[in-house]
Amino acid sequence: MFALTSRSALLLGIAVLGGMGALVTGSTSCASPPDNKRYTEILQPDYATYRTYVDPYLQRRCGTLDCHGQPGRAYRIYGFAGFRLYNVDAGLVSGQQPTTEDEVLANYQAAVALEPEEMSRLMATQGAEPNKLLLLRKPLKLERHKGGPAMSEDDAGYRCVVAWLRIRTVRPTADGLDFETIPEQEREQLPVLARQRCEEAQSFP
Amino acid sequence: MRRTIYQHDANAKHEGAPRLAWVRGLLAVGACVAVASIGSSCNLDPVHRASVNGLGPEEADLYPVESEYHRPGEPCALCHSTKGPADSVFVLGGTVFWGPDDYNARVDNAYVRILDANKTKRCFVTNCNGNFYVRKEDFSKITFPLLVSVERTVKPGQDESTLVIRRMSSHIGREASCATCHIQGLRDFASPGQIRMFNSEQEFKDKNIPLIDCPPPEDFVQVQKCPEDVN
Repeated sequence: MFALTSRSALLLGIAVLGGMGALVTGSTSCASPPDNKRYTEILQPDYATYRTYVDPYLQRRCGTLDCHGQPGRAYRIYGFAGFRLYNVDAGLVSGQQPTTEDEVLANYQAAVALEPEEMSRLMATQGAEPNKLLLLRKPLKLERHKGGPAMSEDDAGYRCVVAWLRIRTVRPTADGLDFETIPEQEREQLPVLARQRCEEAQSFP
Repeated sequence: MRRTIYQHDANAKHEGAPRLAWVRGLLAVGACVAVASIGSSCNLDPVHRASVNGLGPEEADLYPVESEYHRPGEPCALCHSTKGPADSVFVLGGTVFWGPDDYNARVDNAYVRILDANKTKRCFVTNCNGNFYVRKEDFSKITFPLLVSVERTVKPGQDESTLVIRRMSSHIGREASCATCHIQGLRDFASPGQIRMFNSEQEFKDKNIPLIDCPPPEDFVQVQKCPEDVN
């Protein structure tokens, strides 16, 4: 062990500060400018099915003003009877005008963007293990949910959402190294039973 | 610089030590009691405290303060919660208005029917100021979500034929104060406005429904139970 004199301590302090300053300067000057062409593509579930079958249920079940129909929610839902997508021109008022296409799209984006990587995994595996998705973990109460249990695995709403997530929207590329989006017209449709589940769920409660 | 270090002699006997420990213990208990009493009398949650303070003072010229008639159109369960400052806890409470805009036209003797997630039905009656409230002990097993409807009959207690009935288009997810979403005097992208029986003030005026003073005159009959709960 050695004892530091006040002078040597001062010098050491200056050296440490200098080193840190050099590091910070180096890291900022060496960083390359962001490449706008580089992005991670999210593998997305089928929008048409969501719009027709899933959104009416999620709006009704989860989108009330005291739950996910609030600006403070990460998973935010817009709709006729709840929170409206703010638009000066449209002047949407809660409980008055029907749900707009923009609102449905915003709801879809909220559902996908809640856990984009997990959603990509789910799409890549054609909906395997859907309960890993926060969108289902929370209402199933597998994870803490302030609104309590909002779904169960045997109810129509859950089956509707899972059936939607199982629609194949991507396929492996020819070289098998990546995925490509399946054009909408080539995608399979929601099975009849699943459609019935969705319609049943839309009449909640 | 030299320091003098006083070392504690563990073997040394201090005659005052047990007494000191006793005093320290007493002080600690006293401090705990003081903190607990401050916590219970004051609201230590700054968000809740700010919300309560944001309601402003009572308006004695509009209603009898600190009564069942007070603060119509305001979020009841903000104060009537376990966080206080009100003594009673409400699991649901609100105010029913006749029209969408007029704050002074409130519905007396309206039947507020609640269906909870366990399919339990309960009905509560508004008072002369349009207020209704459900105390925790009145519906202890209430389970959200709730479906709610409000009915006003032609002459409550006498002629129970429906004058007007409204059902909530959505359910209540978990909020105990109607006014948190049904903000009085505001209809916009985040609020459908006050709870109302008619969609326009004109529609209400056309019906020539008399308004009741509150506190009510002596001849006013406050219905205590909904028709289905009588007998």
